[in-house]
Amino acid sequence: MRMARPAPARAATIVMMAAFVATVVGCSKKPDPNPAADPMQPAQTSIYAVNYPLSYFAERIAPADVRVVFPVPREIDPAFWKPSADAVREYQAASLILLNGAGYARWTSYATLPQAQIVVTADGCRDTYLRTERSVRHQHGPEGTHAHSDLAFTTWLDLRLAVCQASHIRDALIERMPTAKDSVSAGFETLARDLLDLDERLRNLGQALGNQPLLASHPVYQYFADAYGISIQSLHLEPDRELSDDDWKEVDAMLERERANWMLWEAPPLAATEARLRERGVTTVVVDPAGQSPSEGDFLSVMRANVARLECATGVKPCR
Amino acid sequence: MRDSIYLAWRYLRHHRTKTLLLVLSLSVFLGLPLIMRAMSHATQQSLLSRAEATPLLLGKKGSSLDLVVETLYFQLKGAEPITKADVDALQATGLALGIPIRTGLMARGFPLVGTSLDYFPFRKLRMTEGRGLAMMGECILGAEAAEALGLGPGDALLTSPSTLFDLAGVYPLKLHVVGVLEPSYGPDDAAVFVDLRTAWVAEGMGHGHQDLSSAGPDVVLKRKEGTVTANAKLVQYNEITESNVDSFHFHGDPSSYPVTAAIVVPHDEKSGVLLRGRFVDAETRQLVRPAQVVDSLNKQIFRFERVLRIVVWTVGLATAVMFVLVMVLSWRLRAEELRTMKRLGCSRWKAAQIMGSEIALMVGASVLLAGVFGIVMAQYGETWLQTLILRGS
Repeated sequence: MRMARPAPARAATIVMMAAFVATVVGCSKKPDPNPAADPMQPAQTSIYAVNYPLSYFAERIAPADVRVVFPVPREIDPAFWKPSADAVREYQAASLILLNGAGYARWTSYATLPQAQIVVTADGCRDTYLRTERSVRHQHGPEGTHAHSDLAFTTWLDLRLAVCQASHIRDALIERMPTAKDSVSAGFETLARDLLDLDERLRNLGQALGNQPLLASHPVYQYFADAYGISIQSLHLEPDRELSDDDWKEVDAMLERERANWMLWEAPPLAATEARLRERGVTTVVVDPAGQSPSEGDFLSVMRANVARLECATGVKPCR
Repeated sequence: MRDSIYLAWRYLRHHRTKTLLLVLSLSVFLGLPLIMRAMSHATQQSLLSRAEATPLLLGKKGSSLDLVVETLYFQLKGAEPITKADVDALQATGLALGIPIRTGLMARGFPLVGTSLDYFPFRKLRMTEGRGLAMMGECILGAEAAEALGLGPGDALLTSPSTLFDLAGVYPLKLHVVGVLEPSYGPDDAAVFVDLRTAWVAEGMGHGHQDLSSAGPDVVLKRKEGTVTANAKLVQYNEITESNVDSFHFHGDPSSYPVTAAIVVPHDEKSGVLLRGRFVDAETRQLVRPAQVVDSLNKQIFRFERVLRIVVWTVGLATAVMFVLVMVLSWRLRAEELRTMKRLGCSRWKAAQIMGSEIALMVGASVLLAGVFGIVMAQYGETWLQTLILRGS
């Protein structure tokens, strides 16, 4: 008699298959992430700066093969720029991120940036930062009063401070590119010489001016005034806007308090504004803080022009 | 022989309840040590590999195990925090990279981890969807968290209030999901990552509110000499958006804000040794080697495993005795059946073959079952056991 044997054969097959599947599942290796393809790693040496002066310093100091980027559109004041997430991602990918310090570029306080790449260039250059004249302090809840962003931030207008900022860029570059130490140091030396020459001229100007006060259209000259011993009273006027009656009242009130002969502007004011100021015995002098890249020339040429205009207007040196 | 196996198989099929009970008992007896060993090994390896991938941890002096468990596995242990200044000081030594870790809050059941961008390349975490953190108020989800919550880039996620009945406490912060991480088969999968400052805002140390300089009299109590005092009507934002991010600020010095610990990545071996030397006599801080801490935890697990093994072998012995008893009783009950087989011409040897085949089939099925269960548990039970051990430690 022949016996049918399909059942044990089927059972054995099922058991074998189950064992095979379990073995394959059990022995499969976990995927290993590939660190080399990490998108968060910088692809090449690049320096991103938050304002034009820092970008200029970096260009002067860094070796030629380093890419220096200042991505803020020309029509926007870098101090108040609000970058997109994509722009922040660009900064994140940089080998070095140059911040100014003193609360400059507020976006850096809420953007996520890699700490290891950040150099706050003005930190450690002064004991304390200067404060703006007008900052609204407020109180809500039990924490006491506080104010937002009340630090003056145009630090580079004190050219010795600018040299200090540049020295921090030099140090960061040498740390990251020790083989380029000589060229970085040489670049810094020539930059420092250029800036200190101008600094010397401004110190002479400050001494020549003595106690004579100056007006300023905007509160951006705090470090300039502090460094060169110049008394500057600031208003809140825009060079490209016609001044209102209230503005003129404010100017007149200021002139009554401080008999100033010169008024500093970030950019040339409207001709009408200039004429009405002249009627009041005030000469306008353009001192461009150069926070944004100029349409012509570079940081040094802008600063040289600033100094020449000041020397000319105040009679410290003959006008050219 | 095939005929004997066939008859044994038919017998076992006919008495399927008895067979099933015996196979299951045997499987448990055989499988338990296997499962225990496989899972314990896998867990120890998993714990150790993460710890070994973390060179050093800087934290407040106290339980090093709590510090490691909270910082590496995001299990809240109430580790005392250090400050951001400690991380900055460490960074300033130039000897190591300091990656801050802030834990303490949850977001819909998943730990909220405040850290810096350096954490992601350090742990070799990559995005599977969306992008990395760019602004305050954004979060990245681990793969498991994203799947469990059903969230992806463009969605929002609320942090859980730290104290449910504290009406004056910190309100939940709405986080914007901008990315999801690839699975890493570790604690990062079940975490919600935010920028350190976002974690502080979620904890109530920073906030944003409407501009007080232009606020109306219904909000302002008094204005005096450049100081504005607001009343309780002042609108404070519970979400950080592009339009209000400017208004977010911290009172006091952020460098004094808490950080649970810092992952310390020395630039080279010498830097690591120098750093460890600096913290030998530190009074309030400790620099621990997570691998050492986890190794001692593993030794405890191993000790516990030995005790368990004794218990398992005792139970196994009882199971084996029971199995033998069942088989002997079964053969006695089948005496008539064996006699019939003999009358039909079946030799004693053939009868023994059939009985032996029955035992072999049952033992074989039990071994297979135990093996399959052991492999599956080693693969998928690892995270479960890891969580169980860490929560219980």
